[in-house]
Amino acid sequence: MTTMATPTQPAPTKNPTAPAYNPKSESTTAKRVKSTIFHIVALALVAMVLYPAIWMISASFKPNSEIGGANNALWSNNFSFDNFITAMEGIGGVSTLTFFTNSLILAVGAVVGTVLSASISAYAFARINFPGRGLFFGMMIATLLLPFHVVIIPQYIVFQQLGLVDTYVPLLIGKFLAADAFFVFLMVQFMRGLPAELDEAARIDGAGHVRIFGSIMLPLMKPALISTSIFSFIWSWNDFLGPLLYLNTPEKYPLPLALRLFVDQTQSSDYGAMIAMSVLALLPVLVFFLVFQRYIVEGVSTQGLKG
Amino acid sequence: MIDRRKFLTTVALGTASAAFLSACGQSSTAGQTGSAENPVTINYTWWGNDDRAERTRKAIALFESKNPDIKVNGNFTDFAGYWQKRATEAAGGGLPDVMQWDLSYLRDYGQRNQLLDLGTVKINTDAFDKSLLPSGQIRGKTYGIPTSTNAFAVYYDPAKLQSLGVAEPDGQWTYKEFNEFMLEVGQKGNGALYGGTDYTGVWWMFNIWLRQNNIQAFTDDGKLGFTKDDLKKWWNTTAELRGTPALVPEERVTQLAPKSAMGSNVTASEVTWDNFMAGYLGDSGAKELKLVPVPSDDPDNLGLFLKPSMLMVASAKTKYKDAAARFIDFMVNDPEVGQIFKTSRGVPASKTQRDGTTFEGTDKLVVDYEKSIEKYLKDAPEPPIVGFGTLEASFKRVSSELNYGKLTLDGAADSWFKEAEDLIKQNA
Repeated sequence: MTTMATPTQPAPTKNPTAPAYNPKSESTTAKRVKSTIFHIVALALVAMVLYPAIWMISASFKPNSEIGGANNALWSNNFSFDNFITAMEGIGGVSTLTFFTNSLILAVGAVVGTVLSASISAYAFARINFPGRGLFFGMMIATLLLPFHVVIIPQYIVFQQLGLVDTYVPLLIGKFLAADAFFVFLMVQFMRGLPAELDEAARIDGAGHVRIFGSIMLPLMKPALISTSIFSFIWSWNDFLGPLLYLNTPEKYPLPLALRLFVDQTQSSDYGAMIAMSVLALLPVLVFFLVFQRYIVEGVSTQGLKG
Repeated sequence: MIDRRKFLTTVALGTASAAFLSACGQSSTAGQTGSAENPVTINYTWWGNDDRAERTRKAIALFESKNPDIKVNGNFTDFAGYWQKRATEAAGGGLPDVMQWDLSYLRDYGQRNQLLDLGTVKINTDAFDKSLLPSGQIRGKTYGIPTSTNAFAVYYDPAKLQSLGVAEPDGQWTYKEFNEFMLEVGQKGNGALYGGTDYTGVWWMFNIWLRQNNIQAFTDDGKLGFTKDDLKKWWNTTAELRGTPALVPEERVTQLAPKSAMGSNVTASEVTWDNFMAGYLGDSGAKELKLVPVPSDDPDNLGLFLKPSMLMVASAKTKYKDAAARFIDFMVNDPEVGQIFKTSRGVPASKTQRDGTTFEGTDKLVVDYEKSIEKYLKDAPEPPIVGFGTLEASFKRVSSELNYGKLTLDGAADSWFKEAEDLIKQNA
């Protein structure tokens, strides 16, 4: 009897509390279920997006013969840092540190050049009403439509004649001359959104173009400057074709050229070292992005307050 | 309108500088020479990995110590980037003085007069096999000197065969026997190990089969030398094997890329060039791989030949013809250079260099293989036609579609012939 009663006992005791509990809990459990499903889906998507990165990091610790091909496991029992050691040894007598330094020089040069030149050109297009402004603006936009591959050879001939091949000049000069129409356009659009009353007020106070640009426009343009820096840094850091065509001396190579040297279809390929170096090459970009991403958000919020 | 104006200025600038450039080229045909106090500097470029960079640096240092009047400025990129860079330089007139070269690009650059006729300078080719030199020549002019050779072979992994209880092949086999061998491996491998890849998709294997049947792949005027029926007959060689465990399925091969099926330990054999040995060993982690000759239905005619695995060429516009020639001569003939490179460029083509090199381990396997097929070797084919790379790739693609079952035999042959004929017409 007691044995029969015990299993039936809990059920009725649960029932009386249920009616009072139910309507409330239904909405919270529904919420909970929804949020769980949302998180599961979000996590699944994150896993999918991050999988290549995770694969890369795991492969950087695996011996060459266990990378790719029929080996899909992320974990290897032959875990080692050998790939990183090989990667840091450099290639053909050039140390990996040199490749990093070169990449850094090019990327920082590109950021400085682009930010300086694009913001000044953008100021001229957005704020100064000079003759032929529309025409020049149109020409600048037209260069966006011109595929890079069309100008490769004429450009190469020009730099070859000037004796500038195998220097960083061909890679950087365009950045300092606002040749990246995309960034100029981005900044022009941003500047057009800034209230013209601000520079009118400054002009009444006696400020010239230099003063208006330096003291009023630049501080307000922070978000545009930051996104320009991020993009030009990453583009320059990842650029392969430019350095490939213009640099001849291995001592001047940036990372993307060096990375390819580990994989040789006609001989043996050291995938492990290449992937280890990719991981190392990714770090500066990641750090750069993490540091500056904060400023984007900050910049946008202050902009919103003032607008 | 803006576009066109900008375009015209660039074109005008480009043409002007090109004209200026060719003028420069003509004024300096004599060839400048240097002295120990005032050495000339030549640029040498090659493709390859870290290992090759290291070896080449040693070879350059050796050359400079023996030739104090010449300095060599070496630089290197990967294989794919190498040809992008050369194409731009050729258009811009800035090709390096001496270059490592690949056979499939020789005709293209040679016909456009970008390469120096090496017959006009002094390079010793006495130690070269006479059957090999024509592969660097186009219409009687020598544009490239082979550094080294490779030959086609069947690779197999003896350890895998032993674990399955399959007898090792002795390399004297017909296509039927080769197919049976692959089927036996596949059946005993039970899904984990396949016999091999479908060799009928490999252009060079087809070329060898044509030679075994005394058919020329390309006629002397650059047309196709075989018929659709020949091609169908070839693709039919493995028809019975498709879909059986003898051949690794096509989708598996795609999944494994960029590694080969053999490099991924999925097949026990592979038909390809003998100088891929180091790559296969590295990719698969196998202890040992062995090489045997390709199958043939005519035991006296294996259709085999030595192909230059790479060549040395000079730029037509080099100012230092003499220095360039001395460097090429050194790189292909010097025994000490052979000691530095071993078989990493392929088996040394010059007998002087080959005899002066000691081969051990893997290197010895490849050298011994080429020695063992010596009696079957015939003349190397001429440099492939312009656009050969595209043809070779489409041969692979069409035959893999045949393997997928997307194309019928007739459809595959029609489709490849159409592509090939269009391409030949285009480049004629």
